[in-house]
Amino acid sequence: MRTIVKVIFFLVIVLGFASGAKANEFAFSDKWLAIGHYQPKFFGGYESTIDSPNFFLSADGKKNPQAELEATVNLFLSDDDTKKCLFPARYKLLKKNGLTIQSFPKCEELEKFYEDLRPNGVTFLFTDAYMNNPSSLFGHTLLRIDTARKGTQLLAHGANYGAFTEGKENSALFAILGLTGGYFGGFTVKPYYDIINTYNNIENRDIWEFNLDFAPEELDFFVAHLWEVGHAQSRYYFFTRNCSYMLMETLDAVRPSLKLAKKFPVQTIPLDTMKAVHQSKGLIKNVRYRPSRQRKILYRVSEMGKPELVAYYKAIEDKDYDMPDLSDAKKANVIETAYQFVQYQYVAHNLELADYRKQSFQALMARNKLKESSQIPELKDGKSPLESHDAMRATVGFGVKNGEAFQEISYRPAYHSLTDDNYGLLKGAEINFLNTTLRHYDNDDKYVLERFDLLGIRSVSPIDRMFTPISFQILSGVKRTLNPQTLEEGYVADLVVGGGATYALSDNVWMFFMANTKAAYGGFLPRNQYEALGGNGGIFMDFEKWRVLAEIEKYYASSKIGSYQEYKVEASYTLNRNNALAFNYKYQKNYGKDIEETMFSWRKFF
Amino acid sequence: MKKVYFASILAGTVMMMSAPANAIDSTGCGLGSMAWRGQSGIGPQVLAATTNGSFGTQTFGITFGTSGCDPNGRITGGTGRMTLAFLENNLEQYAMDAAAGHGETIDTLAGILNMDSKRLGEISKQNFAYLFANENADALDVTLKLFTVVQA
Repeated sequence: MRTIVKVIFFLVIVLGFASGAKANEFAFSDKWLAIGHYQPKFFGGYESTIDSPNFFLSADGKKNPQAELEATVNLFLSDDDTKKCLFPARYKLLKKNGLTIQSFPKCEELEKFYEDLRPNGVTFLFTDAYMNNPSSLFGHTLLRIDTARKGTQLLAHGANYGAFTEGKENSALFAILGLTGGYFGGFTVKPYYDIINTYNNIENRDIWEFNLDFAPEELDFFVAHLWEVGHAQSRYYFFTRNCSYMLMETLDAVRPSLKLAKKFPVQTIPLDTMKAVHQSKGLIKNVRYRPSRQRKILYRVSEMGKPELVAYYKAIEDKDYDMPDLSDAKKANVIETAYQFVQYQYVAHNLELADYRKQSFQALMARNKLKESSQIPELKDGKSPLESHDAMRATVGFGVKNGEAFQEISYRPAYHSLTDDNYGLLKGAEINFLNTTLRHYDNDDKYVLERFDLLGIRSVSPIDRMFTPISFQILSGVKRTLNPQTLEEGYVADLVVGGGATYALSDNVWMFFMANTKAAYGGFLPRNQYEALGGNGGIFMDFEKWRVLAEIEKYYASSKIGSYQEYKVEASYTLNRNNALAFNYKYQKNYGKDIEETMFSWRKFF
Repeated sequence: MKKVYFASILAGTVMMMSAPANAIDSTGCGLGSMAWRGQSGIGPQVLAATTNGSFGTQTFGITFGTSGCDPNGRITGGTGRMTLAFLENNLEQYAMDAAAGHGETIDTLAGILNMDSKRLGEISKQNFAYLFANENADALDVTLKLFTVVQA
């Protein structure tokens, strides 16, 4: 009897296909295309982002949504329960659209998945940039499956999409393979407490939680689809098909009207995906902020009065937890903060395990004696990355170079310069990528490529009584350069690597020094190249609306052309989130041929 | 008697958990648990934390990466296994919350143990010196003691 029903249903479906009716249309509907991760190809047709063959039931399923739909309809007519259990979301979709009347088999592993997760909602997570790892410079995004378990969301699970790099993260090959699709990416699931430990407590990155407004049916579909893509892999491309991009496709699969993936045809910057999710109407329910351990320590220290501060430094520096003059509540605050600082130091490799345990227990015992609790409210608000300027920047400016007027335009695909408004971003962290500058000079009416910055990473982070970060820079690009001896101009490609220290004179004024090595190459240089040693130092001022970077730079090079001294001032004033005015001044001394340059510009972020 | 019985079940569970952990590659859950058990090199201080040859458990310290969790990377199992897995990953946070008598890890553990969070906070604070007898406290030890005090 069952077989007859199946045969009849099969005929109905086949006839349906033959008449090119409903199913044919469905194969190219947003819902089916999204669940198969199909994207339109440039010259027509579709191709799925997913690469592993087990994700497709039809031999040409990767490129043929229609064949894949037919194969899926056939799967649910077959007896292959093992395979059916891998596609619970496809089943739900077919069933809802009348393309199958079969029942879904009992799937033990899938049921266990639901049982462990106890899904209760979905949260989109954004973690801050992490300057100590090149692959985390742009921040990171992941999804959390909220749990209905008793307790807290610490017992929820995070779904992370990442490249399977087999522990080769530190080789140069890693970067190349990461950029060119040499690795496969896939989803892994971890308890949320694990994710908090990694980002908040070990890497000291803030986490932003965006609860998504999914209906129960959408939540169910999300978990089912996560199960499907969780068994599949795709080639991983660091800038395009990356951790954040796959989350966009996954959210699209749940709610095809979102069309999030389409917003990222080329580069996918985690911060931008968070903004896109936030801008999608009716997708975000509420936002929650989970500050990093370091941020919490800094906040609690900033809330302390003088006697507490004295007691705090006595605790962390002299390991003296005796603070007779403080109330119990204040003692509690001092001890709890000191304890977190001990944890921080251990993670930063500033403490040996034995000392770490000893100091931890000293704080624990002292805290356990107190009857009252700290009165400092928890840090619940941060500067939202949603309010930060957008990643792409275009600059239009005009100026004068040694008496000659010029006009300049530049375009930077990503991400942030020191003098850009850093609201919602990591202050003192600069990442410039592929910045291209063109100029027109009035006198000889010529257009030139003024400079091309392949990559510019700078981290200036102040050293204080608690934290001792290293400031560093890696700058690489091509610049139009004047040879002071021949007065000839040409292009020089260079790489500068340097490290140093930053000190805060106040919250708004920082002073930094770096020692640098430089290698330069250019066809018009004597012997085609030079090496240089030098340094730069200066002041970085940040008064919210305006910022000033004043620097002195000096190099001693193996060629005269590379030995110079330069004074630079760059200032920028914020008009609004995505617009700023800027002023640049530069004076370079190079073997009697000085260059003086002044420029005003408008910076537009988009 | 009941407690001895419970402890042996818990110890058995831990042994079962540590067996599949050895087979996990570096991409999934289990990276941390192996590191803390001294089978992968994170650093000498980590090696120092391992217990010789026996089924190691998380000694007092911060877990780098995942530890002691299900091979699928999920929160699973009954109360005992969940408590142990949670403490293996959050021992140093729970230590401070226990010393203070409140906090996020207490709220979480109260959920796992299906009890009132305020009461668990009080019990943890009162019994802090028993739960964390010295700086070599480990997650299994704390778990067993925690069950003892909440059942008392």
